[in-house]
Amino acid sequence: MIGNLLRADFLKIKRKGLWFLAFLGPFGVIALQMVNYGVRKDYLLNQSDDDWGYFLEYVHSFTPLALVLGIAILTSFMASIENETNAWKQLISLPVSKMSVYLSKFMVLGSLLFVSSLLLGVFSLGYGILLNLGDQIPYLELLKYSFYPYLAALPVLALQLWISSVSQNQGIPITTGVLGVIFAYSAFILPDWMIWKWPSLMNEWDEPLINVMLGIGVGTLLYIVGMLDFTRRDVK
Amino acid sequence: MEYVVQTTNLSKRFGKESAVIGLDMKIRKGEIYGFLGPNGAGKTTTIRMLLGLMKASSGTIQIFEKDLNKEKINILKRVGSLVENPSYYPHLTAYENLEALRKILGVPKTRIHEVLEIVRLTEVANKKVKGFSLGMKQRLGIAASLLNSPELLILDEPTNGLDPSGIIEIRNLIKQLPAETGMTILISSHLLSEIDQMATTVGIVTKGKMIYQDSIESLRMYAQQKVLLKVSDSEQAWRSLLGNGIKADWEDGIILLSEHSDEKVAKAIHTLVHEGYSIYRVEDEKRSLEDTFLQMTTREKVI
Repeated sequence: MIGNLLRADFLKIKRKGLWFLAFLGPFGVIALQMVNYGVRKDYLLNQSDDDWGYFLEYVHSFTPLALVLGIAILTSFMASIENETNAWKQLISLPVSKMSVYLSKFMVLGSLLFVSSLLLGVFSLGYGILLNLGDQIPYLELLKYSFYPYLAALPVLALQLWISSVSQNQGIPITTGVLGVIFAYSAFILPDWMIWKWPSLMNEWDEPLINVMLGIGVGTLLYIVGMLDFTRRDVK
Repeated sequence: MEYVVQTTNLSKRFGKESAVIGLDMKIRKGEIYGFLGPNGAGKTTTIRMLLGLMKASSGTIQIFEKDLNKEKINILKRVGSLVENPSYYPHLTAYENLEALRKILGVPKTRIHEVLEIVRLTEVANKKVKGFSLGMKQRLGIAASLLNSPELLILDEPTNGLDPSGIIEIRNLIKQLPAETGMTILISSHLLSEIDQMATTVGIVTKGKMIYQDSIESLRMYAQQKVLLKVSDSEQAWRSLLGNGIKADWEDGIILLSEHSDEKVAKAIHTLVHEGYSIYRVEDEKRSLEDTFLQMTTREKVI
């Protein structure tokens, strides 16, 4: 059943520009570094012996922002597909459980963001090689900087999906989305428990893996709570 | 007796307000069940409960003699529906819209062409639904509801907002369905004239309560349509009808024939023509649902 729902959901996002956004996010992050390194490459390469690490740190400074913004935009697009003509009622009156409808939406968004993260890794690698940062390519670090923020951002995804699929007024998810972006921007000064800080991979123990674990754990929890709430409610 | 749909004491409350109160609905196999009531009477709420879109506050729903709460998915596999305004994905073509639903239902692809053929949208199958007229969108909605070849088709106000030719088209479509496939249809409307031409059974709901449920013939008897005659010198004409033993009333210069079988009407007209009155109009009195309601409720009080 979930396979069929997924195939249907992927068909529905056709021509909505979601795939383009999934490409635009990581491209934008790397484009900023293209400007950065384009303008002052020599200066930046002098700053550290580990050119790759230094480059990846710079890339990562914009990843959380792009990720949280991307989540807000993708979830509201996703919900708008069903909200536009209130297709929820048509979808839910098909022989499917509401839980699998919700799961399918989450999985589609998860896949889009996964592709974004993958592209971020590929673009980072590509531009890094183009910059001639050295033969010692730190593949492991590259993977970490691409996928850790994604996993740490799962609670934000679960929260945004929950809010946008149960809100009658789409102003609410957009507001929380904008607030999330502001939070992600000010991750430096946020306390560790705020989910919007997690994609920055910062915490007081300086251990990114904690954010990843928290992201998966709290993300799962928020997903379950959102799904149960969605199931419990009457369809508009 | 086997009922396709049977609700027992079905109720729905929104906060303090009751939208549906103790509704007992019974639909037999192969019927076209007209579900009538003014706007806000609880029709859509009832239909939403039948489709599992809303949970009932109390009471039970049995469809195909199974409990909806326990076997929702098995029941919905055999049900097609169109609730209120048509739902569609405007950025997709008609074909893609149906394909998105087909993937979930798991029916063969050829079925899409079949249903498009039924609602005559084959030619615009590859156009985006964004540019469709309301009538076309509504037909697409009906096509979607037919995708899984349902045994029970639930249509909520399918002709709402359509122009007369659209209404006739949908009506003809709906009428031919049970004959071809043995489908049971539940169709809601706030227009009696609408239901009158399709339904075999009617249920009338007002303020959340079912006030009438029987065959359409019984309702016609109940509604007691009259035949109106506009003639020259109406008061004289009325007296001469009475003089000839024909039951009639006279109101504001119009004669009302209370017996309206073909023979009786012919006889009255024959009498009038014979006596030299000019006949300007002979027409059926069109009673609105509101009138029928009024008539029903006042009768109930008398009884």
